[in-house]
Amino acid sequence: MARYAMVIDQERCVGCQSCTVACKSEWDVPIGFARTRVRPAGLLGTYPNFTSAFFVAQCNQCERPSCIPACPTGATWQDANGAVRVNRDLCIGCGSCVAACPYGARYVNPDRGVVDKCDFCAPRLEHGLEPACVATCPAKAKVFGDIEDPGSEVFRLVYRAGAKRMETADIAIGPNVYYTGKREHLEMAAASFAPTPPRTVAAALVWTRLAKKLVYLAVGATFLGQAGAFFRQLSVGEKQFDE
Amino acid sequence: MATNIIPASPYALTAGQAEALAQRQVKKHHVAIVLLHWFNAFVWLMELATGSAIVVSPSFAFMPHWYLVMMESIFGSRANLLRVHMAVGLTWIAVFIVYAVFGWRDYLHTEVLKKEIGLDADDFRWLRIRLLRLVGLTSEALPPQGAYNAGQKLYAVMVYAMVPLIMVTGLIMTFHLFSTSMVQWSMVLHFLAAGMVVSGLMIHVYMGAVFPEERPAFYSMITGMVNELYAFRHHYKWWREVKMQQADWEQTISAEEDRSHDTLETGNESKPEAGAANGAR
Repeated sequence: MARYAMVIDQERCVGCQSCTVACKSEWDVPIGFARTRVRPAGLLGTYPNFTSAFFVAQCNQCERPSCIPACPTGATWQDANGAVRVNRDLCIGCGSCVAACPYGARYVNPDRGVVDKCDFCAPRLEHGLEPACVATCPAKAKVFGDIEDPGSEVFRLVYRAGAKRMETADIAIGPNVYYTGKREHLEMAAASFAPTPPRTVAAALVWTRLAKKLVYLAVGATFLGQAGAFFRQLSVGEKQFDE
Repeated sequence: MATNIIPASPYALTAGQAEALAQRQVKKHHVAIVLLHWFNAFVWLMELATGSAIVVSPSFAFMPHWYLVMMESIFGSRANLLRVHMAVGLTWIAVFIVYAVFGWRDYLHTEVLKKEIGLDADDFRWLRIRLLRLVGLTSEALPPQGAYNAGQKLYAVMVYAMVPLIMVTGLIMTFHLFSTSMVQWSMVLHFLAAGMVVSGLMIHVYMGAVFPEERPAFYSMITGMVNELYAFRHHYKWWREVKMQQADWEQTISAEEDRSHDTLETGNESKPEAGAANGAR
């Protein structure tokens, strides 16, 4: 089984947003939302020799995703190929996973009421196609492939050319999107787009720390009380009301 | 009113009286309520079975893993579990809207609720004695009860508070209404409310199906009828009310009969009286 990864060459990216458009049209992403987007990261160099720097942000298909345990219904799951996917039939649109993602890669689709995110274009992969953003990038800044295949381009870029993950010492959950480019470019991107600590929504905390215990207690106490009454009934013997 | 016919509190029955009461049936539940009850039982069975299997994330899940796997296998997939849960829940809401519309005056009007599920002093005494009797600490007689005993009333109060909450939060989650935080809190409230009802439901089922003294109450949910001896012993206040209504009704009928009898006999005499009245004016 392949293990998919993506390497984004920041130096090649000219910020044309073709990938954003391809993704939005492929997956009917509503206005104001995106599964992948190109964000301006600042300027590199000094006047008059400077260039715009960009940062391509999308779901990192992490190896230890913080979004999966946050989902109460199990609608978010991880494919054997590493892609983190959302089952729309199970999602109730609570947005707990949106808060849990350190990369802001998820959103609640207002048309459907359920969560949507990049899944490396899983349905396209099943048809043997590349993800839409990869296929469309005019600068070939996005490289996609099997990171477990030593002959693949992503393998070479990650293990030979030293592509980096966008992670910090605290938030390292194994992202599978890697970045290459000038060191100062990557540092500049990291200053603005470093992962933020996963948040657990208040309702989830109340559920796990309070509600579950309350229900166990109420049902358990009733059950025990009733079991006691039942054994008493057995030991005393049954007495019908009219006897 | 025939208030003086039946004593306000239970009295000792002779063997003959008890025998006579045991032979007579009195109507407790309308057939629509009997059907609604068993529909409701089916809904709760399905919703609890499927609902508890939808929550699978380790930190949220409250059922053992084998149960989650078993239910998923039975229904084919978790998505099916959720579909069944939502379909049955929506049907439940639709049926209860019909119930609320047609049953408003008889079952849900404030006055009815106050009388049928509001607890009075007898009810609080009943609760205390019932609990003590259950553990064998007293053999004191239970105070007279209305159509529903204090235990049933307490359960009803909770159910009447929790069911609308379960329905509203269910709708919010099914149709992803309002905002994500509303859906998040709906999950918690849906779970808590259902949990509270379940803790009462266990007693409800035990009392109805297992507890020998309440056996006639169980059969009344099939036939709609209870025998009068049971009504006398367990729901004296209700039995007395039914009997007084019957007595009132019988009195009214016989009074009507007397009057029509009088009118027939004295029909001719009434005419001059009317004429005299007219003349006086």
